[in-house]
Amino acid sequence: MHVVIFGYGYMGKIRHQVLRRHADVQRVTIVDPKLSADTTPLDGALLPEGARVPWESIDAAFICTPNNVTAQLCADALRRCRHVFCEKPPGRNWDDFTRIAQAAEEVPEHTLVFGFNHRLHPAIEAAKAMIGKGGVGDVLYLKGTYGKSGGARYRQSWRNDPHVAGGGILLDQGIHMLDLFHLFLGPLQLVETVLADGFWNCGVEDNAFVLLRSHQGVPAFLHSSATLWKHTFRIEIGCSDGYLVATGLLSQTGSYGREQLVIGKRQFEDEAMALGNPREEIIHFDRDESWDREVTEFLAAVKERRPARHGTLEDARRVMAIIRDVYATASIASPERR
Amino acid sequence: MRSIQTGMSLPLASVKPLDGLMRYRAYCLEQTRFALRDGIRQRERSPVTGGPLVPFGEIEGLSYVRCPESGSLFLASVADPQTWRELLSSVSMYRHSPEAFHFGIADLRQETVYTPKLGWIEETLRLQGVRRPRLLEVVTLPSDMGSLLRASGLFTDVVTVEEMLLASGRAPMPDEEPVQTAVLLESLDRVDDPAALVQAVVDRLSPGGLLFVTGLVASGFDLATLGIRNRYLYPPDRTNCFSLRGLTALLAASRLSLLEVSTPGMLDVQIVQAHLEQDPRLGVSPFERQLLESEEDTHRAFQTFLQQQRLSSFTRIVARKEGGASA
Repeated sequence: MHVVIFGYGYMGKIRHQVLRRHADVQRVTIVDPKLSADTTPLDGALLPEGARVPWESIDAAFICTPNNVTAQLCADALRRCRHVFCEKPPGRNWDDFTRIAQAAEEVPEHTLVFGFNHRLHPAIEAAKAMIGKGGVGDVLYLKGTYGKSGGARYRQSWRNDPHVAGGGILLDQGIHMLDLFHLFLGPLQLVETVLADGFWNCGVEDNAFVLLRSHQGVPAFLHSSATLWKHTFRIEIGCSDGYLVATGLLSQTGSYGREQLVIGKRQFEDEAMALGNPREEIIHFDRDESWDREVTEFLAAVKERRPARHGTLEDARRVMAIIRDVYATASIASPERR
Repeated sequence: MRSIQTGMSLPLASVKPLDGLMRYRAYCLEQTRFALRDGIRQRERSPVTGGPLVPFGEIEGLSYVRCPESGSLFLASVADPQTWRELLSSVSMYRHSPEAFHFGIADLRQETVYTPKLGWIEETLRLQGVRRPRLLEVVTLPSDMGSLLRASGLFTDVVTVEEMLLASGRAPMPDEEPVQTAVLLESLDRVDDPAALVQAVVDRLSPGGLLFVTGLVASGFDLATLGIRNRYLYPPDRTNCFSLRGLTALLAASRLSLLEVSTPGMLDVQIVQAHLEQDPRLGVSPFERQLLESEEDTHRAFQTFLQQQRLSSFTRIVARKEGGASA
C-alpha cells in the first residue's frame, strides 16, 4: 500500500511510526507545508514543497492536521482515494463534520475511520468485558475525568485558538471520554453543561462539566479540564453487582500514570467483608497496542473492502452531536479570580 | 501484558500453616531421599538458560543448585522419570490423606486457593473472548481442581493428563484433538524436566490457545529473604523454584507470548514472620526485622507493594501459543 500522511505534528509522527512497521505498507508520503525536505528529509518520504500529491498511486490517506483544515482535506481525500483515517476531532464543529459526512455519502465503497483509540486501551477493553454477564452487572452510572495541565506554551498552541481549533479542551481531549461513554452506554443526550475559561483565557473552555443521560436513563458525567495540574484519566463505572475504575493511560510520556482497572464486587453486610469496603482486584497493564491496532483495523477494512469495526462515522456523529449541543447551550464563563 | 493485584488478605493458617507443614514436609523429604536411593540424575544445566548450575545449599541432605543468570533454584538430583512419577504420586496421595494438614483445612483451601484460581481462569477467558474451550488439566492425581473445573461449565471438555507422563512423552491422550486451554497449576515446580513439560503442553495447544501457570518463585519476598532456610522450599513440591524471570523465559522459549504475569501472593510477610516466630534468632537484616515487627497496616501495605512490583513469591501467568488471533 502507498499511504499519505497530511500533517507531521505529534499525531502524524505516531502514525508514521506505526505505518512504517506495518507489513501491508510499502510506501509512506508525508505532506506538511511547515516542513522542508532540505531540513527534514524523512528518508525521502516528505513531499517537496509545491509538488502535487500523487493521488493516482495513493491507497489511503491519514489526516493529522490542525482542525481548521481537517474537514476540507478529509473530504478531498475521500473523493481522491476513498480510504481515509482522520484524527479526532472530526472537524472544528458540526458543520465541518457534516462536510465530511456528505463527502463520505458521495463516495461509494469508502473506508472512513476516526482516531478514537481510547476504546482500544487495555483497561477499557477489560472493563467492557466485565460489564453485564461479565461479572459486574448492568451499568448504573458513569463518571469520567480527563484532563491535563496545559503547559507553558498552552496559549500559543493552535489547539486553543478558537479560529483554528473550533473549541477548547472538551473538543480536543474530552471527546475521547465522550466516545467511551457511548461505547459503554450507547446513544446519549445532553442534560446540562457548565463551561469555564477561568485560567488560560484563550476564548475556549479550559474546563467543561457535562451531564448526560442514555436512552435507558443511565446518567453520565464528564469533567474535561486543561487545569488538572496532575494529568488525570479516570472513568468510574458503577454497576448493579460491582464497580470498575479505569485510571491512568499508557501514553508515550507516562504522565497519566500506570494504566489500571480496579474491579470491585458488591457485597452486603451478611457477606464476608465489611459493608462498604468490598474486596477489590486491580489489573495493571503495561502494553498499549491501541495505535497499532486501530491502524491495523483501518488497513484491514480497506484491504478486505468491509466497514471498520470502530471509529466509524456513526461513532463520530454521536460525539460531535453532543459537542454541538454543549457549545450551543452553554456560554463560557470566565470567573474573576481574586 | 497485564498483572493483577488483589485486595484480598488471608491468614497463613487458612492456606498452609507453618506448624502443620512440618510433618508433611518431613514426609516429602523422606520420600524424595527414598526415590533417589537407587541412582540419580545430576542436573548440571539450567532448564532456563542451558548454562551451568552452581551450588546453592542443602536441605536435610538434599542439595539445591542455582541458575546464576536467572536466579532460579533446582533440586540438584532427580531420579529416573518413572521413579519421579511414583514419588509425585505418593506425595499427592499423602496430601489428600488425613495425616496431612491439607485434609483438616480442605474447605478453607477450597475457598481461598482453588475457587479464586477458577475465578481467575474464568475472568481471563472472558477478557480474551474465549468461549467454552477444551481444557487440558495437567496434574498428578488426585486432582484438587478437576471437579471444580468440570463443574464450572466453562469448558466443553476437561482432559486430565498426568504431568510426569506428559513431560516424558508417554501420556496417552484420549484423541488427537488439540485443546484451546491448558492449566499447569504448580506442575512446573514438581516435574523433573519442566522444559519438556511446557513443550509437551504447547504441542497439544491449538494456535492462539491459552496456558495458565501458577507456581512459587524464588524471586519473591519470602523465598528471596529466607533462601534455603525457607521451610516452604522442599522437594518434590519444589523440585524447581524458578525466579519470575526464569519462569517467563522458560515459557517464551516455547514460543508462548505472555498475556499476564502477576504475583498476587498474600502470604510473603506472614511466612517470614512465622519463620521468625519459630526461630527468633533467624538471621534477617535490621531493616527486615523492623518491617516485620511493625504494625499490621505496614505489613499490608508492603504486601500490596510486593504484588504491584511482581515481587511476591506466588505467581500466576497466562501465556498464548503463537499463531492465533490476539484479542
